[in-house]
Amino acid sequence: MEGAIIQEGVRQQIEAIGDAEILVGIPSFNNAGTIGHVVRAVQTGFAKYFPGNKCVLVNSDGGSSDGTMEVVKDTTIDDPNAILLHHQIGPVFKITTPYHGIPGKGSAFRTIFEIASALDVKACAVVDSDLRSITPEWIELLLKPVSEHGYDYVAPLYHRHKYDGTITNSIIYPVTRALYGKRVRQPIGGDFGFSGTLARYFLTKDVWGTDVAKYGIDIWMTTTAIADGFKICQAFLGAKIHDPKDPGADLSAMLYQVVASAFGLIEIYPHVWRAVSRTEPVPTFGFQYAVGLEPVSVNIDRMIERFRLGVKELSDIWNEFLSKDTIDFLKQTASPAKKFYMPDEMWVAVIYEFAIAFHREIINREHLLKSLTPLYVGRTASFVIETAESRAQEVEEKIEGLCEVFEEKKSFLLKGWEN
Amino acid sequence: MNLFERVIIEPFARLTEKVLLFLPNFLISLLLLAVGIVVGWLLKVILTRILRAIRLDSFFETSGMTEVMKKGGIEESLSGLLSKVMGWIIMVVFAVIAMRALEIPTVERLLERFLLYLPHVFASVVIFFIGYLLSNFMGRAALIASVNAGIKVSGLIGKFVRLAVLILAVTMSLEQLGIGSGTVAIAFAILFGGVVLALSIAFGLGGRQIAREYLEEKMHGEGEEDEINHI
Repeated sequence: MEGAIIQEGVRQQIEAIGDAEILVGIPSFNNAGTIGHVVRAVQTGFAKYFPGNKCVLVNSDGGSSDGTMEVVKDTTIDDPNAILLHHQIGPVFKITTPYHGIPGKGSAFRTIFEIASALDVKACAVVDSDLRSITPEWIELLLKPVSEHGYDYVAPLYHRHKYDGTITNSIIYPVTRALYGKRVRQPIGGDFGFSGTLARYFLTKDVWGTDVAKYGIDIWMTTTAIADGFKICQAFLGAKIHDPKDPGADLSAMLYQVVASAFGLIEIYPHVWRAVSRTEPVPTFGFQYAVGLEPVSVNIDRMIERFRLGVKELSDIWNEFLSKDTIDFLKQTASPAKKFYMPDEMWVAVIYEFAIAFHREIINREHLLKSLTPLYVGRTASFVIETAESRAQEVEEKIEGLCEVFEEKKSFLLKGWEN
Repeated sequence: MNLFERVIIEPFARLTEKVLLFLPNFLISLLLLAVGIVVGWLLKVILTRILRAIRLDSFFETSGMTEVMKKGGIEESLSGLLSKVMGWIIMVVFAVIAMRALEIPTVERLLERFLLYLPHVFASVVIFFIGYLLSNFMGRAALIASVNAGIKVSGLIGKFVRLAVLILAVTMSLEQLGIGSGTVAIAFAILFGGVVLALSIAFGLGGRQIAREYLEEKMHGEGEEDEINHI
């Protein structure tokens, strides 16, 4: 398995390094503009918090043409005084390698897991290559719960703008929480810490030809860690600020990959989620503080327009699996005469009915989940309208309320699943 | 030899001789037909059970084929339909063998032509069926993609894609049957080319402003683009 994806040159590097204790992986694709900062933060994190350990930085690249890999190779900590280091900075081993397989974040992670496994590391972390808010403390917060407290999986906890992470807030967090019982606030945050044992466990799963190899990797890692009984926690990392989103990124493809992975996992772990009847918080590391966040502009009118277009054109498709009540409600909501509002109860019904249709394979699964896009856009518009004047804490309470509805209506999913 | 013998007895004797010669073939033919009916019926029953055991219907339901068949007015399950078709094919094959057993030259010539044409009919039906399924699948994919791209005429795009694939399937299907092989292809090309040309002219003349705005938006970026990071 390893030989299939680790290149010969990398293999020689691994042999030269021998064993390592700490590894941080950075997946990348054309991130030359931002990856330098991330690499510096990681190297400084190694120097400050793991001075006595053998640390490895792995860049798993998707074939960048802008010199991303060269930036990783050339980046060093220029001035130790600037970061208040008084001890000697040890060498940091760097491995930069293109990954193989389906183009996507998951394939990049797989290469990182393979290298972690080959080096027999104790604690690993992965961080995004477009982060502008990463600090050396992130490395400590993601790795020390593993290396010093015996946790297997560290999910991130950030302060984000109230309109950021809407797939997380409206689908993935509430569904993961209601089904598996753990309140992991950012299940698809993108920056995670995990043990070498868990990295090896991930490699035993045959998922690398599915959507897990793309955007589905984050939810897959989190759900696998929870459902298979690994010890999990969260680490507060402060603000998550990254490059503006890729304008070419297709929302419906992204939504499909993430939701298909989440729904696919519901099929893998019915024995786990059926038995869960209540949810519990997970231990959280890190000192929490308020942060200033960059504003996010939203075009609500266009979002509502997309929702209405979806209701007009896709109702025939939805008729095959959504209940009559849901369809009637969506048609009423789409009416320009009414104030635009999609209540939590209705959104939960939509998601659970889609999950049941996915399970029963009523129509082609890609068509099914891509037809969810206008409804998701409509729900996001409704959320933006509702929280326009709300502070961060109030928004968090609103999301908490949505999670409770998902938990209350879980029996509906159970019933639909079994019929 | 008297007249009676020449006019009545001899032809009757020849007829009797011919009938006696033909009779075994006729009986064999009848027997083959009966065997064909029984084998065809048995195959239909066995195949229905096998296809139900391997849950073929639920597989086709997920692939959308059942839905397509229902839209086409076929209410029967696919396993039932396939079994019936196979049963009928066996019966027809036995009927053909039975007719050949009669050893009538005219029938043999007709059968030969029929048998040579049969694969074309089969290929034509298969092509049409696959084309029909594909047209529904692609029409739905185009509809969803257009809605997600915010195109207001999404319904029209979905229908157009569906119709284009269906016309292509019909053209290929008719070509298999040898019906206007060249003409049908040319007619399709003219029709398709005409639609594209009409759309180009309509967009060029009627939608100059929209085209300019669209290109400007693409060149200079969309001013009102959302900045939401969904994940």
